[in-house]
Amino acid sequence: MNAIAFTDVTKRYGDVLAVDGLDLEIPAGATVALLGPNGAGKSTSLNMLLGLLRPSSGEIRVFGEAPETAVANGEIGAMLQEGALIPELTVAETVDFVRRLYPRPLPLEEILRLADLTELARRRADRLSGGQTQRVRFALAVAGGPRLLLLDEPTAAMDVESRRTFWDNMRAYAAGGRTILFATHYLEEADENADRVVVIARGRVVADGSAAEIKAGVAGQAVSFLLGDQPVAGLDALPGTTGVELQGGRVTLRTTDLDATVAALYRKTTLDIRDLQVHGADLEDAFLALTKEA
Amino acid sequence: MRHYIKVEMLRMLRNKRYIIFVVAFPVGFYLLYSNLWGAESDQATGLRGSVLLMVSMAAYGALAAAMMSTAVPWSQERHSGWLRQLQITPLPGRAIILTKLASSMLLVLPSLLLVGLAAVLTQHVSLPPLQWVELILAMWAGTIPFAALGLAIGSLLPPDTAQPVAMIGMFGLALLGGLWFPESMMPAAMKSIAHVTPSYDYARVGWQIAAGEAPHAADAAGILAWGVALVALALVAYRRATVRA
Repeated sequence: MNAIAFTDVTKRYGDVLAVDGLDLEIPAGATVALLGPNGAGKSTSLNMLLGLLRPSSGEIRVFGEAPETAVANGEIGAMLQEGALIPELTVAETVDFVRRLYPRPLPLEEILRLADLTELARRRADRLSGGQTQRVRFALAVAGGPRLLLLDEPTAAMDVESRRTFWDNMRAYAAGGRTILFATHYLEEADENADRVVVIARGRVVADGSAAEIKAGVAGQAVSFLLGDQPVAGLDALPGTTGVELQGGRVTLRTTDLDATVAALYRKTTLDIRDLQVHGADLEDAFLALTKEA
Repeated sequence: MRHYIKVEMLRMLRNKRYIIFVVAFPVGFYLLYSNLWGAESDQATGLRGSVLLMVSMAAYGALAAAMMSTAVPWSQERHSGWLRQLQITPLPGRAIILTKLASSMLLVLPSLLLVGLAAVLTQHVSLPPLQWVELILAMWAGTIPFAALGLAIGSLLPPDTAQPVAMIGMFGLALLGGLWFPESMMPAAMKSIAHVTPSYDYARVGWQIAAGEAPHAADAAGILAWGVALVALALVAYRRATVRA
């Protein structure tokens, strides 16, 4: 059964098309990263999943139901980008209040443990640091024991150490067969924490698969060398070449067949080639290539 | 929802501003004024100063509590993202505004009861039991328009504007209602404004009950009309503030 299904979903704000015919299915139990640059439509898509925004057209289903119904039934928990706490309430009071709003909440102690808040339980919200507040917001997202957890750039305000702990906690929660969808523009986060990466740009899915598949699917590798003042014309015609970029005096050729491209460089051109380097594609390259083309 | 009300009460009782304006001010001023004028009797109502001031200060405290517990906290919750946090839980949208109204009504009680208690203990004010019940119930129910006004302000304005507007509204209504000095001392223009405010009707109903009279129909109708109008405004403003785009 699908936890999430977008069918040809469009969201328009006046003249701006934030989400443009989005089709996406996520089976229950998966951990999926929604990767894209700022303004790609990630937050808009998550807000529509929560019923906070309505699509201009198309249909969204969460466990086969309308988003509002799924929210009312306590199926979804979410950590949105913004969200202050009530300053006068303690961590435990806040978490306990929210968990009681759900029909099948987790026990308070378990929530506090999942979010590393056991020691901060009695602290008032106005005395928490930014990173501690983020942990409370994670606690609020999981408090109801939701089957679907949505996280919108959850580690944005965290340092490296907090980030690692956060993802460990997220995995612990996911381990119970729950579905997780998180938006991020950090490639490593998507690579390390998701089984599947959905890349979106300008409101559309531009790639969808495991991190490895996405890397493999784009441009493969690249070779670069110092070109200096020599002409760049004709390089795009070399075998295997899919793209040519010139930056400073250095030219980069993207290629699907590294050997053929390099061989042709030496045999079929008269260029003076210096400082030749070969680059394997990483997810960053794949991401840039994908979001640029879109 | 019961737990939600509890949480709302808890946070306001920890809020220093609430405690100062709503609990300390009315009780403190009652003690001060009743020592000065408690023994005199008021010509317009025929009430002893200690009783008149009890109603005035209780009315001020109740009005302040109703507006302080609604306008700014609610506006802040909308802007800080707390409202969104609640909107993505199974809590139905209407439960939020109903809880706000109910909590505000409960938070009015400390100032009503404490001013009454101060009057009994320091000025030996005594009323027949039924009259006490009537007075407290009328003054309690009469805060609905002010709580609704506070919620409307909180729904319509961002926190930095809601704050001064709520303050000015609160003190303005207290002043015009004749809670701080008698309406008979006001200049003519101010008097005519005062007569159409809900706080004026509210205070008059209180004084009438304290004097052993039935509330005058005109005053009761005035506060009822304000109540209906402001609750309607609060509901419309709430819908507008929480609408899903």
